[in-house]
Amino acid sequence: MKSKLDARKLLSKYGNVLVLLLLCAFISIITLEEQSPRSPAAAKQLAKNIARSNSKGANVIVLVRRGKDQQEFADTLKDALTNTGLNVSESIVGTPRDARIALKKQTTTIAAIAADNHMATFCADQLPNLGKTITALSKTTVFQPQKHKWPNFLKKENLLNVLKQISVVAIIAIGMTMVIITAGIDLSVGSLIAFSGVITALSIQQLSGNADPAIGHLLLGSAAGILVCAIIGMGTGSLVTLFNIPAFIVTLGVMFIAKGLAFIFSQSAPVPVGNESFAWLGRGSDLMGLPNSVVLMLVLYGIAHVVMTHTSIGRYIYAVGGNPEAARLSGVPVKWVLVFVYTLCGLLAGLGGVMEASLHITGDPKSGTLVELQVIAAVVVGGTSLAGGHGKIFGTLVGALIIGVIRNGMNLTGVEAHMQSVVYGVVILIAVMVDQLKNRAQKSN
Amino acid sequence: MKKILTLLPVILLTTWLGCGGKQEVRKPTIAYTPLTLSNPFFKVIGEHIKAEAEKNGYETLMVDPDMDVKKQSDQIDDFIAKNVTAIILVPCDRLSVGPAVQAANKAGIPVFTVDAKCAAQGAKIEGHVGTDNFQGGELAGKAMINALGEKGGKVLILDFKKANSCVLRVAGFKKIIDAHNKKAEGKIEVVSELDGNGDRTKGYQSTADALQAHEDLDAIFAINDPSALGAYTAVKEAKRENKIKIIGFDGQLDGKQAIKDGKIYADPIQHPDKMGKQIVQLIVKYQAGESFDPETLIPATLYTKTEADQDPELK
Repeated sequence: MKSKLDARKLLSKYGNVLVLLLLCAFISIITLEEQSPRSPAAAKQLAKNIARSNSKGANVIVLVRRGKDQQEFADTLKDALTNTGLNVSESIVGTPRDARIALKKQTTTIAAIAADNHMATFCADQLPNLGKTITALSKTTVFQPQKHKWPNFLKKENLLNVLKQISVVAIIAIGMTMVIITAGIDLSVGSLIAFSGVITALSIQQLSGNADPAIGHLLLGSAAGILVCAIIGMGTGSLVTLFNIPAFIVTLGVMFIAKGLAFIFSQSAPVPVGNESFAWLGRGSDLMGLPNSVVLMLVLYGIAHVVMTHTSIGRYIYAVGGNPEAARLSGVPVKWVLVFVYTLCGLLAGLGGVMEASLHITGDPKSGTLVELQVIAAVVVGGTSLAGGHGKIFGTLVGALIIGVIRNGMNLTGVEAHMQSVVYGVVILIAVMVDQLKNRAQKSN
Repeated sequence: MKKILTLLPVILLTTWLGCGGKQEVRKPTIAYTPLTLSNPFFKVIGEHIKAEAEKNGYETLMVDPDMDVKKQSDQIDDFIAKNVTAIILVPCDRLSVGPAVQAANKAGIPVFTVDAKCAAQGAKIEGHVGTDNFQGGELAGKAMINALGEKGGKVLILDFKKANSCVLRVAGFKKIIDAHNKKAEGKIEVVSELDGNGDRTKGYQSTADALQAHEDLDAIFAINDPSALGAYTAVKEAKRENKIKIIGFDGQLDGKQAIKDGKIYADPIQHPDKMGKQIVQLIVKYQAGESFDPETLIPATLYTKTEADQDPELK
């Protein structure tokens, strides 16, 4: 009996982590695919293979498709081949067109081509024909790195993609978690993304005049976008507390207003930002290859976790959601707490808007559509109860991850969009089921 | 409790497998992200991409960004992680998609556009296949002159300014109408240009509003079939379907059917089948290192009741 209870407790605490892990395992299995490595080690191994089947001094061409890290791969390959005593007559990092032109010029006999997987496909298709007219290529063999099996999902690049893609939703979900813990809701965040992006882009345009905006302009503009959304959030919170209007209604109104204003201010067209460095937040990655947006997300989650567990405002938020009357009687400034959470939620939505604008280097009034529902879904899947009083900040991060991982997995395997929506729905329902189990486990304690 | 626990993954897995998610993609892959797959036009392009790709030994990965440029950018990032051979794109926004295209450029993956172009600075597109939208608009203008006859009339345009292709259609249309008005007795007057959003709902709403404002409307030019059909619903509701002539654009199946049924007067039709086929042929040429013309414009042709009556596709 006791072990059963422990299992229950564990499930109630880490139920969504379990779901996340199962999902990752499942997606890894279905995205298992042959990979062609591009590491320096693979280049050296490839050079060894070529040396084994060719005599010293034979001519070899290095042929690699252009792209990130590809130059390094080609250079390592070239050095390794030269070290084994082969003669690298040419090294090409480029398009198939470059490859074709280079191959057509060959006059001395080429024994081998060392290629990456893309160029190997090119050679397999084109070499038989080229070999007929160009005698130098008639006896050429093509070598490519040894393939191995690895899930596309578990590639470092892809995992970082998933984190980057959820960052906006996850950051706003911090504010949403707090709002929902107070038994409220904020439907305006999606519109605030668009509004903040447009305000940011317009402010940057205004500040810089006709010249190209400087970094200072970008920062000031972003601050303007975030600040305006924080003020809107504060207004929302005030309406909820002062006039006692349900949060659902207030934020529904704000949602329409912000969306409309975003289109009015931008005159319905995306507002471009004339400085590429604005993409730093949305697309840059500076810290150990981690995207900046992901670093920001993790830092904010760290702070939010401390706030919710170790500060009085955190305890107040839980108290207000658990029982507002009891909270008021025990001296919690209920109204201030509510204004605080809506302000914070607005501020984070504003930040999300800046991130989104940064991603596209444009303030787009169309952006953020239906994001409020994704944010709420992340919070709910993360185990926060809509009834208020319960919920964990890191639970929300797990919730956002679950949704992001599913989306990524479905895109990698080419699941059709409407089916994706069905799967999301199923996931949300499962999350609510887990939530119910949790409640039961708590009651049985 | 345990039962439910074991059920969770089972539900998930079956949903996934049930929707055909498990595709073994081993061959070189062409990835396709159109504007939206809920518009049959992009589906036809997709099907022909798939068929032509298969013929040339490629797999196709087709995803749906649902008109959301953020989703589309995420999808392009996923394509890069998957290291696909080439990307075919119908930009959801011709500017905002730029950074994602640049990321693909950096990863060495060639990007091609079909139907709509990408206008973002610094984003390299290897090739484009589209409809000659300006010429298509001219065809629509000529059809409008035919439809209204000598006495001319008042025309509503349902446009979609967010898509450059649709802006071109309206420009071509107006060029012909303006030229006509300079010499003809019966002028054709564009009394209103409203946003039809390229879909039925907005096309219906905008037309319903315009019918209130203009009692004497004679014709409507809608920049695509869904908005033309939306317009027809509004016209029929106002019981003015016998007086108001509608010209659409695209030549989708339901648009063609509407022409046969006399609901729409004529369509300059695009050829999504050719577009899908030719874009893959560009990719094949690119992959073979051959030189090719980076832009192919396929002329639109006019489709009227005469063509519709002989169309074996229609009921």
